Amino acid sequence: MNRFFKITCCLALAFFLIGGLMGAHGIAQAKALNFALSGNPDTLDPHKTSGTLTFQTIKSIYDTLAEPDMSGKIVPALARKWEVSDDALSWTFYLRKGVVFHNGDKLTSKDVKATLERIKDKATASPKAKEFAAISAIETPDDFTVVLKLKEPRSPLLASLASGWGAILPKGLIDNGHDFATNPVGTGPFKLKEWVRDSRIVMVKNNNYWLSGLPKLDQVVMHIIPERAVQVQGLISGQIDVSYIVDQDDIPLLQASPDVQIEESLSALILVMSINCSHPVLNDIRVRQALNYAIDKQKVLNVAYGGGKPIGTFMDYGNAYYKDFTQLYPYNPEKAKNLLAEAGVGKDTIFELFLPQNYELHVKAGEMYQAMLTEVGLNVKIKLVDWSTWISDVYRGAKYDLTVIGHTGKLDPDGTLGGYGTKGRYVKWINPRAAELIKEAKTVSGFDNRKKLYDEVLKLMAEEVPFMFLGSSYRHVAYRTSVADFRMTPKLDTFDFRWTTLK
Amino acid sequence: MRKRNKLMYLSVGYIVILGVAALAAPMIAPHNPIAQNLEERFSPSNKAHLLGTDNFGRDILSRVIYGSRSALLVGIVAVSIAVLIGSVVGLIAGLATRTIDNFLMLLMDSLLSFPTILLAITVVSFLGYGLIQVMLAIGVIFSPVFARLVRAETLAIKTESYVEASRALGTPIVKTVYKHIIPNLLGKVIVQCSITFALTVVIEASLSYLGLGTQPPNPSWGLMLKDARNYLVQAPWMAIYPGMVLAFTVLSFNILGDALSEKLNPKL
Repeated sequence: MNRFFKITCCLALAFFLIGGLMGAHGIAQAKALNFALSGNPDTLDPHKTSGTLTFQTIKSIYDTLAEPDMSGKIVPALARKWEVSDDALSWTFYLRKGVVFHNGDKLTSKDVKATLERIKDKATASPKAKEFAAISAIETPDDFTVVLKLKEPRSPLLASLASGWGAILPKGLIDNGHDFATNPVGTGPFKLKEWVRDSRIVMVKNNNYWLSGLPKLDQVVMHIIPERAVQVQGLISGQIDVSYIVDQDDIPLLQASPDVQIEESLSALILVMSINCSHPVLNDIRVRQALNYAIDKQKVLNVAYGGGKPIGTFMDYGNAYYKDFTQLYPYNPEKAKNLLAEAGVGKDTIFELFLPQNYELHVKAGEMYQAMLTEVGLNVKIKLVDWSTWISDVYRGAKYDLTVIGHTGKLDPDGTLGGYGTKGRYVKWINPRAAELIKEAKTVSGFDNRKKLYDEVLKLMAEEVPFMFLGSSYRHVAYRTSVADFRMTPKLDTFDFRWTTLK
Repeated sequence: MRKRNKLMYLSVGYIVILGVAALAAPMIAPHNPIAQNLEERFSPSNKAHLLGTDNFGRDILSRVIYGSRSALLVGIVAVSIAVLIGSVVGLIAGLATRTIDNFLMLLMDSLLSFPTILLAITVVSFLGYGLIQVMLAIGVIFSPVFARLVRAETLAIKTESYVEASRALGTPIVKTVYKHIIPNLLGKVIVQCSITFALTVVIEASLSYLGLGTQPPNPSWGLMLKDARNYLVQAPWMAIYPGMVLAFTVLSFNILGDALSEKLNPKL
């Protein structure tokens, strides 16, 4: 028996190691960074997806008119400056001169016009087209000036232009119907060399990049390694230089390795347990309050998400628009029990907790929620669903009672809050006042003016709790000590290799 | 021969222990298998937790014991379904006209042509995730194996002279099946049951590993292995114990199947 056990262990170990090494096998070159990517992007066409992995990857290939800097402020990129008219209906962008696409075309205002038209074109079916809907006309008075005419003031537009889905493509190729999905051509710091699906994405330096002296790396090899444990082993053995999905539980192991460093930063995620307010029982605010009282938020953050900061409302902790409401519903199981008794909800009401099974951390959190809710006397059944079912049934169809998810950060608060208060959003929380404020804030400019409106929205959400607000988690990026200056763009969480160096 | 017997007794003993553990789980499990104890995450085996705890501080021994319930339950129900469907189809095919025979066997063969796991995943995603769906899926998938077996045996037995004699005397077909065919089939079917049982345990674990079977937080060996995947280095015991129990269960049923086949179907 002992022998059998040993053999089994060895076999299992060998299996995992071989799998890991095969995944992490890369060409060791002077300035090639080996990066671990957690999955395959669905496409590399910036205008035909809303997949985070795509935007994280194409940040290196395409550029946008503006971009967020490391503090989250939107700064010039392909446009060297812009002006907004007093009525906020005319936005003028002055393009940088001497920018060249990977195929040799020079960047002009015509490319910007063609790109925006491509996004707005129904045939492109861009999931982000709505964000550009306010643009009624695009004028190009000269080669380096673009004027956007708006139907109505729309402050979030700048954030859309600074996000991956506003990436600028060359007009010549757009007109040819070029396939950007597998053969991307942009102005970015790296060019795509090869993309072997489920294996690797190789990008080489763009020598004509418009920021002089950048990028510093010659090559970035993104190895597609979905298994976290394999990424961790790759980091320790040196086959991987950077991994951005390190879990709390991996940290002791990585810290034991002298060659690995871990950087902790707050992500822009809004982690929640969403509540379907159209459910006859969950429609009762007392039940929703009880759900908020019943969860020990810090504990779930620590165990399931690797630590973080609790939030009491629907805005990420690090956001300038964030307002602290965490004192409203602290962890208090007794209060939860009282509220449930008052509302007359007991074991006979079954709530189905839908968990997207491809997101391990949400499943982990869901199991903890279930245990904590059982503690206060609720009857919660877990239902694992695959991602496409989650999107169609839960997010689009609102056929669920409770679910666990993280809303990704957005550059503009309207990206986060747009549509809430109406039945258009999957939590089915109806609040005309909030809906009206959100609509108004879209047309108002100036941080202070908008913040006033959003403060009230966030207060309404914090009080009426269409979610169980958990928090924003820490993100742990682990890298070999030979790597310096690997950056992740705040809010968008995209990878920025431009300043990265390798010893 | 002696060594073979010893192995058989060992595996029968193991299966009996497993069965008792499954039946008496609430009495013998030291802890509640789904109770989380976040202060004691990842503790290696100690006095309070003989096999250690998992990433939520749940007792692994208790989860392994309770996990045997879903494994055995799925095995028993799925094999019963497979035997039922398979035998009925096999008997009809063996006794009926050629057209019906061809039609039924075509149906069964097309089921057989799918890779087992793939078919299971398809059926489960069609019916929804959960234990009952898994039992149904596995039952349907393994029915062709029994159908082929029963048909082949029926074809052979029905031409035996004693069966023909009995038919000639006017015994109704139902009685012939009951009196002559089924008793002669039984040995082979039982052996096949034992081997199929081992396979269903593996498939249940695989489906749960993929998140399609037993739903968390309920314990299942496959689910435990899925959870353990990310902690192979920090907490190898999370994978080793359920993995071992799973391996031994499959091994035992296979050994039992071999042994039974020798005992029940002696070759000349």
